[in-house]
Amino acid sequence: MKSMNDYIVGYSIILLVYRNIVAAIDKMFLIWQIAFPVVYIFVAGYAYSALIGDQGITIGSLTVTYVSFLTAGMIGFNVMNGSTIAGAIIWNDKRNGMFQQILVMPFNKIQYVFANLITLILIGLGSAAVIMVIGFPTIFYDINVTLWSIPYTIYALVAGSIFFGSFTIILSTRMKSSEGYNVISNGLFLFFAFVSSAFYPAEGLPQPLSAAFYVNPLTYIVDLTRAGIFAQVSMFTNIEVVILGLLSSAVFLIATRSIIKMEA
Amino acid sequence: MLRNRTSNQAHSSIRDRNGACISVTNLKKLYGKAKEFTLDGISFDVKYGTVFGFLGPNGAGKTTTLKILTTLLSPTSGSVYIFGKDIIRKQSEIKRKIGVVSQNPSFEANLTVERALDLYGLLWGLHDSMVRKNKVNEILRTFDLESIRNSKNDELSIGQRRRVQLAREFMHGEDMDLLFLDEPTVGLDPSARRMLLDYIKKHVMSGLTVFFTTHIMEEAEYLCDEIAIIDNGRIIAFDTPTGLKQKYGGANKIIEITFKDVLSQSFVELLKKIIIGSKNSDGDQKRGGITTNTTSRIDLNDTNPNAITITVNNAEEVISEILQLVSKNGMQIESISINPPSLEEVFLSIVNDENNLKDNERK
Repeated sequence: MKSMNDYIVGYSIILLVYRNIVAAIDKMFLIWQIAFPVVYIFVAGYAYSALIGDQGITIGSLTVTYVSFLTAGMIGFNVMNGSTIAGAIIWNDKRNGMFQQILVMPFNKIQYVFANLITLILIGLGSAAVIMVIGFPTIFYDINVTLWSIPYTIYALVAGSIFFGSFTIILSTRMKSSEGYNVISNGLFLFFAFVSSAFYPAEGLPQPLSAAFYVNPLTYIVDLTRAGIFAQVSMFTNIEVVILGLLSSAVFLIATRSIIKMEA
Repeated sequence: MLRNRTSNQAHSSIRDRNGACISVTNLKKLYGKAKEFTLDGISFDVKYGTVFGFLGPNGAGKTTTLKILTTLLSPTSGSVYIFGKDIIRKQSEIKRKIGVVSQNPSFEANLTVERALDLYGLLWGLHDSMVRKNKVNEILRTFDLESIRNSKNDELSIGQRRRVQLAREFMHGEDMDLLFLDEPTVGLDPSARRMLLDYIKKHVMSGLTVFFTTHIMEEAEYLCDEIAIIDNGRIIAFDTPTGLKQKYGGANKIIEITFKDVLSQSFVELLKKIIIGSKNSDGDQKRGGITTNTTSRIDLNDTNPNAITITVNNAEEVISEILQLVSKNGMQIESISINPPSLEEVFLSIVNDENNLKDNERK
């Protein structure tokens, strides 16, 4: 006899999301997720502020302190870091035989993909919330959220989670060894982190470096996050919305295909 | 004929009209770039409430068959029905009722044994936390896992991890009607192995059907009601363990002789002449020690240079000739025994015959 839960659409996905959260997240990951940005905000933020002086950073028509600028950037940055859990889940499931085991249970590959997608969005939003809470004292004076601007931040966080989560999924399905996976993901994420506007504004940079910033999806994620938090939405912000949407959709489709083709 | 559609012990609410829990017909699977058949048209039925042994040498097609039966692979052609339902179209319904313990380890590295069992119960639809808790405690006791209930899977030995992997399938609750066990006792010590086999037997008595692969013939003999032997993608033998011994062991007997002295090479050569030169029970001359369905041979004992094992199907005749030879050569026998062939002997004989047949076809 079927239970009520069998009639809930996507109940299998909810179970898998719960399983991902319970089984895949360890304490070290959570500590890293909080400690790393806190060090950046409170150490790098105030140290660089001393270098920059009182002039602040201009975002649209608003000038904010460097710490505020960095805290908003760290929200996007932490979404990127948090989303790597999606690749780690698949990597561990492959290595520990759980991918095959899940597929012989009442779950299929599509449900597995969507469960991972939801997990990484939840972790992305959770990571962002943690930074928002921790960094709130630093951003308090500059924050300027409006009802019409905050959807940009939420969109950036969700689309950013999807982009980076899918990206790590693709890596984890293609790589054969954990060493290779770690070297390539660390190398690429170093590029994503520092060739972006997470730590410093793109304006005023040498042209080639500025162009490189806009090849990087993290730039769009942090730009949109800041646009929402400081209510600085322009025409270019909407173009960034479209670009980030297209990039995330494309990478998500490739990731889905990679998982479906992955042999159990 | 391999197919055997007789009805068997009724037990399942989802019993199909033919009485077969698994029904495989002309199953083929093409694999790899060379597009060679890994499975070349196999057919068999597994009755409800029985243990079906699926044996074969490495690379014979066991794992491919198992992957198809557990929905991990799609067949190239042929049909597979489980509980009377098509495996392609009714995948999700079938998967709710099956359990799978695969050959490779699978575990949640970060979870404790207790937490992993609890999570598995939830995934299998045991939503009531009290029911789950009781079930976890029962499984921990049954599989002797209480002492490691708070250890993380990552910290366990291979054998302990294997026990957890097996125990986990029984978190399925009352809904599991069919259990696939792919070499489940690898890494287990003898007592854990026996405990597992007995636990499975108990569940089979109460209606569970088991599809079982192993390389340990004693296990197959102990547990299986029927056995199919697969080689090169084809089923080459199918019967009960006793039936296989009768059919393929034939009149074969294993003669074990221990002499008082070390055997000389010349004496072994004389023995070989007796074995090769003897006639079998049907009066046919053997060539090269090989009969139509079994292999007559002499095996020297690696650990005891005084002992010898002879496999023949006309044991009495051979013994009388050996006794004459022993007397002529002034040798003395310490002990002699005649035994029926083990399932392992039968398995080796069937697979060797199949390989010889294939070699002859190639020539």
